[in-house]
Amino acid sequence: MDERLKSGSTPAPAVAPAASAADVDVHKLVAQLTPMLWQVARAAGLGMQDAEDVLQTVWVSLLSHLDSIRSPGAITAWLVTATRREAWRVAAAGRKTRPADHDWLLTIPDPRAGSEEQAVQAEEQRELWAALSTLTPRCQELLRIVAFVPRPDYDLVAARLGMTRGSVGPTRSRCLEKLRVALRDKEDSQ
Amino acid sequence: MTAAEQPDDEALLAMIKSMFEAADPMPVGLVDRIRFSVALADLEDELARLTAGQTDPADRSEPGGHAREMALARGATEESRTITFDSSSLTIMIRIDTNADGTARVDGWLAPPRSCQVEMTLTDGSLTVDADEEGRFAFQSVPRGTARLVVRRAERGSVDGSQEAVGARAVVTPALVLLLLRT
Repeated sequence: MDERLKSGSTPAPAVAPAASAADVDVHKLVAQLTPMLWQVARAAGLGMQDAEDVLQTVWVSLLSHLDSIRSPGAITAWLVTATRREAWRVAAAGRKTRPADHDWLLTIPDPRAGSEEQAVQAEEQRELWAALSTLTPRCQELLRIVAFVPRPDYDLVAARLGMTRGSVGPTRSRCLEKLRVALRDKEDSQ
Repeated sequence: MTAAEQPDDEALLAMIKSMFEAADPMPVGLVDRIRFSVALADLEDELARLTAGQTDPADRSEPGGHAREMALARGATEESRTITFDSSSLTIMIRIDTNADGTARVDGWLAPPRSCQVEMTLTDGSLTVDADEEGRFAFQSVPRGTARLVVRRAERGSVDGSQEAVGARAVVTPALVLLLLRT
């Protein structure tokens, strides 16, 4: 049901091993990693158009950095970091003129629509969203990003986001634990 | 989810992923649009365009052809020509003067300034000089013939996400023909 889980059980690098990072097929990478970067940009609160602009900027600037990125795996970490930085920059500049954009919330399917299976899934997603939104913004952002990072690249990305084990700030496990508690509370209250 | 389940980390993350994939998928066509930008950027940085010089503004649409005409360093020693090339990451301005021995002297400026190697490829071989911190460089003596400037960024050791580093690839100007007509 989930590609990430499959790739997690049989680790396959998102970026195929190459002699050097400069040998990678950028067009292939764009297809593999843009869905993840979209979430990174949107997690920063960007609107659709701003998110797209940020991704364009980041991919184009990757071209000029390929020579200096040592390992293919580091490309994922570089892309996540660059996207996040640029997204926050654009978001900060836009916040003065535009309200926060949560239009995507409306697209969580209505549980009453569609098949029963779809309805169950939609209900789960609504509960999950409700639980997620009780966490700190930083935890929400981290979990949203981490959920999309290919497992083999996870350690590098986590290191760049400052969320390795033992770090002071929110970490994946701490945020997930809070989410579990929030989900439990919701069920208890029903 | 059902009440008894306590999903483990991976299961929980898989659920988060599914939720956002359903709620906020990347737009259709985004991958193609990015690929297009990437391909275009590759071309743009490869070739700097002639954008200013002593030429008819109407002719700028054909940078290659007119670069040649522009680069004529005329015989009168006091005469010099200034030419500007633009690429997405860099502007290169050069001034061509004629030396007494019939060779050309080429002074140049890079904007934004960067200290890096500037190479002039010639019909047979090439000359390399370093631009200083203000982006200035000079080729004291260039033989007549076809010349092309290649500006390379100095090696950057660090990997970082800063946007200012755009343009690490070489920027290449169209070919110039240095005709040194001595009087």
